[in-house]
Amino acid sequence: MERMSFFQFFMNRIDQVIRLTGQHLQITGTAVLLAIVIGVPIGILISKHRKLANPVLGIANVFQTLPSLALFGLIIPILGIGLVPSIFVLFLYALLPIIKNTYTGINNVDPAVIEAGVGMGMTYSQILRMVQIPLALSVIMAGIRIATVINIGTATIAALIGAGGLGELIFRGISMDNAHMILSGAIPAALLALLVDWLLGMVEHFITPKGLRGK
Amino acid sequence: MIEFKKVSKSYDGKTNVIEGLDLKINSGELVILIGESGSGKTTTMKMINRLHEPTSGIISIDGKNIMDINPIELRRNIGYVIQKVGLFPHMTIKENIELIPYLQNWDKEKRAARARELLELVDLDPDIYINKYPHELSGGQQQRIGVARALAVNPDVILMDEPFSALDPITREQLQEELLKLQDELQKTIVFVTHDMDEALKLGDRIAVMKDGRVIQFDTPENILKNPINDFVEYFVGKDRLWKSPEMLYARDIMVKKPATISLQRTPAKALEIMKEKRTDYLVVVDQAGDRPKKVVGFVTPRELRNKTEAEHKMKDIMNTGFIPVSETTNMVEVLNIMKEKRRKNLPVVGEDGYLKGLITQTSILNLFADAITDLDDDEGGDDK
Ligand SMILES: Nc1ncnc2c1ncn2[C@@H]1O[C@H](COP(=O)(O)OP(=O)(O)O)[C@@H](O)[C@H]1O
Ligand SMILES: [Mg+2]
Repeated sequence: MERMSFFQFFMNRIDQVIRLTGQHLQITGTAVLLAIVIGVPIGILISKHRKLANPVLGIANVFQTLPSLALFGLIIPILGIGLVPSIFVLFLYALLPIIKNTYTGINNVDPAVIEAGVGMGMTYSQILRMVQIPLALSVIMAGIRIATVINIGTATIAALIGAGGLGELIFRGISMDNAHMILSGAIPAALLALLVDWLLGMVEHFITPKGLRGK
Repeated sequence: MIEFKKVSKSYDGKTNVIEGLDLKINSGELVILIGESGSGKTTTMKMINRLHEPTSGIISIDGKNIMDINPIELRRNIGYVIQKVGLFPHMTIKENIELIPYLQNWDKEKRAARARELLELVDLDPDIYINKYPHELSGGQQQRIGVARALAVNPDVILMDEPFSALDPITREQLQEELLKLQDELQKTIVFVTHDMDEALKLGDRIAVMKDGRVIQFDTPENILKNPINDFVEYFVGKDRLWKSPEMLYARDIMVKKPATISLQRTPAKALEIMKEKRTDYLVVVDQAGDRPKKVVGFVTPRELRNKTEAEHKMKDIMNTGFIPVSETTNMVEVLNIMKEKRRKNLPVVGEDGYLKGLITQTSILNLFADAITDLDDDEGGDDK
């Protein structure tokens, strides 16, 4: 077989790479969105009921500690293979940073500020909405950013249980001993992680309340 | 009026940190809660806006038991200022001040007008500060905003927990002055916690000295200072405190209570005799002899008597009528100023009823110093043991 340059190989498969990148983003995005929808309220809940904090963070920590490959393996007997179990595993992974950062972000609001709020007659939900969440927002966003970046990496492994995404190119390349194919998956995955990290970093900066910026 | 009736508070269900507290705070009065750390000042204050709730007893505001009022409602009608200020760091000064008006559904124009008005009231230029964020302000300015925010919906009652303690002495003094000015204008019922006796004496209409969850003495600054109810209060006030607050010393504290007097019809010879007997060279001339209350009509000194030793000269003819009477509550600083400016060594003290109460002399002022020095001697003696 005529040796092609990596660039040629890549350009020949650009359509596939784009499709898989889209899929990759879709899997990660769905998992992170679910983790936000579930994790942020849990984080708020445990910041109000402190006794729940340790058990909840402990459980979330277990998912985070388990090797991803093991977790994918464990989920197959329960949910089988395909998109749904993949998203589910990624969701579990994303939970910890989001719950933890929501919890810390809200807890780290200066107690004097909360006391002033309560003392002047704000209700719990007004304080949450108008004070705690706005002040914790950038910390929560940092959690979302960590979760997303980790998930972009972990999602490549999800290809193993049939989720698709850029991992598909990597694993097929490994089995076919085709370095170009591996790189066609690995490089876009790496760039994607960097790009998303940067983008979410910008978001984090812009949602930091003006009164707290440049302090 | 805020009234505590037999109020006790326990956090752990075992020990009472507040013990059978009775306290009546009148409307328009600035009451200080003072005591050592842990004496229960903050707890007492926080029970007023139900940040803490009494374990037993009743707290009422204007006759209404506060436990019958919705806590949110209650708190919105009570201003709250704390040492750490607690401004919302993500909101501008305007948003901070307008928050409760906003939650009370005031319309936008009314809120904005109120914010400007309050900034002016606490002596900050609205044009400069209204759109700034808290971290752009100094500590003193932040606490001014804290006060403005507490006044936003014009509550009758304001609670202040060591509001100026974290500020440098100069800023603290400024804010104290302004609080007094503000209080003159607004006549709020203010409960003010501090552990600083100077601050208490300066600001308080009345001072409640607390110890171990009880009020030991609840009285005017003057009485706390001059008639401490027991050793603890005396120790807490500080023995030499009176000296640090000369404006708390009044003419009635300095004066000689039974000054040498002479009545209108007496002769120079008699005057000389009295001077000799009483070892003084200043006689207050009064309208009548005897023990009944007397009115001051003049004074004589050896100068008035010179060359007028004949018996037909009576006091009414030779006395000097240019005396300067002061009232019983003229304070030490004012007394000294009058003496200096008018070059007087003696000032008769005249009561509200117009009768002579006593005489301030150079000696009586000196005696005050002597007393203070005796106190210091006592202290040194104690140290030597
Ligand atoms: N939230 C709380 N929980 C338990 N104990 C408290 C709490 N607040 C205060 N105490 C205790 O109550 C006592 C009085 O405290 P506090 O009212 O804060 O005194 P002060 O304001 O005079 O320093 C102290 O012994 C303190 O440790
Ligand atoms: Mg306190």
